[in-house]
Amino acid sequence: MNRMQNFKNGLIKDNPVFGLYLGLCSTLAITTSINNAIGMGVAVIAVLILSNMIISAIRKLVPDDIRIPVYIVIIATLVKIIQMLIQAYAPALNSSLGVFIPLIVVNCIILGRAEAFASKNGVLDSALDGLGMGLGYLLAVLAMSLIRQILSTGVLSMTNPFNEAQVLFSLRLIPDNYTISMFSAPLGAFMTFAFLAAALTAYKNNIHKKEEEAAKAAKIEAAKAAKAAKEAA
Amino acid sequence: MDLTRLILAILFFGALVGIYIFLFLKNRRTPKPEGCENLKADCDGCKDIYCPNHPKQES
Amino acid sequence: MFGELVTLLITSVLLNNAVLNQFLGLCPFMGVSRKKSSALGMGMAVVFVIVAAGLVTYALYYLVLVPLKLEFMDLVTFILVIASLVQLTEMFLKKSSPALYKSLGVYLPLITTNCVVLNVCLVNISNGYDFAHMLVYTIGTPLGFALVLYIFSSIRERLEVANVPASFKGNPVALVVAGLMAMAFSGLAGII
Repeated sequence: MNRMQNFKNGLIKDNPVFGLYLGLCSTLAITTSINNAIGMGVAVIAVLILSNMIISAIRKLVPDDIRIPVYIVIIATLVKIIQMLIQAYAPALNSSLGVFIPLIVVNCIILGRAEAFASKNGVLDSALDGLGMGLGYLLAVLAMSLIRQILSTGVLSMTNPFNEAQVLFSLRLIPDNYTISMFSAPLGAFMTFAFLAAALTAYKNNIHKKEEEAAKAAKIEAAKAAKAAKEAA
Repeated sequence: MDLTRLILAILFFGALVGIYIFLFLKNRRTPKPEGCENLKADCDGCKDIYCPNHPKQES
Repeated sequence: MFGELVTLLITSVLLNNAVLNQFLGLCPFMGVSRKKSSALGMGMAVVFVIVAAGLVTYALYYLVLVPLKLEFMDLVTFILVIASLVQLTEMFLKKSSPALYKSLGVYLPLITTNCVVLNVCLVNISNGYDFAHMLVYTIGTPLGFALVLYIFSSIRERLEVANVPASFKGNPVALVVAGLMAMAFSGLAGII
């Protein structure tokens, strides 16, 4: 139950990207196409789950003083392994993501989860937390890339990451003359992010307001009941 | 990969990690200069809990 | 040769700006831009650490990793060098210059996980820069970062008193401002 709650929090309410503003650099930079977003999201999930599991497994062996150096070394090693795998099996993805694959090392989500969660919890919980947070990241980059790719090119498409010649599907949604190329430029990235983050804040504010109103209504109801009881007596 | 390269790689890696941990501990034990004990950066952009300047909050 | 270096400098400071064009270092960009004074401190700390880290990693890569054929260890080496340099700088400042520590000290630990630093080290290698180009790129990129951070903090000080829709308060509206800045900077492309 509690595990499920943790897992769900990472997806929407405490979304690492839109809620906590972690890992902004790669989110804005690589979301020009859906292919890039999925590739990056999967790489981050892999690193996050593995690093969370390893760090939680060795949490009792590492002296408290030097835990951050140890985390950095573990994460850097894992990222290098993932980078080499991508280079070998998906060269097209490697060249389009470029320097942002090695930059996963300094993605605050990973070090943040290691410090905040994996260093205090068991291996299974940490793996689940990594999966939840990683899916939250994937969801965020996917939403960004859908908006940006469709508005800037008008086409919803994906190619096979392991074989760039193979197009999985391609669907034109907006005629060629009506696309907004701004959305593939930096301005579009910042704007898309700002509006999505504002939408999440509005959603949260709304829930908060409803809760407050419900509490107020309950209070009035209770006062009325108390009054009625008094009058009856 | 031949053995010498493997040993060299491990030695180099060990040296780097050793230097880092040494500096990390040395820095931690160096007292902060007078008047700087309670410096806090007014940083609130990300919720990076790892960061030493992060205003710790219950989550 | 000289003209090429000047072009590289202008490109790395203005045209291919670390924050606005490459989206690097957004955490400190959003986080430490509430006040002009803190933006200045962060900017200076970043310039210092990047120049030091760029030089050390470049030397280590070509003098140690390449002769030993250990190029695959670049990422681990670089991040450890950056982290060590941050510790060393902080310790040095604590001991020798309390005044400087007061203004820069708190921002140093933040820099370990700043993507601009690691990016400069990696790009120096992957673009195959020679020493002069490496030096220009290593100095230009953090200068561009510091410049944009300072401009951004001046705008945000004004933004503080502006009337903004509730859901845009704080970071979202700051991101809109950053987007407009990116558009303004893209107008500089005509310089070269």
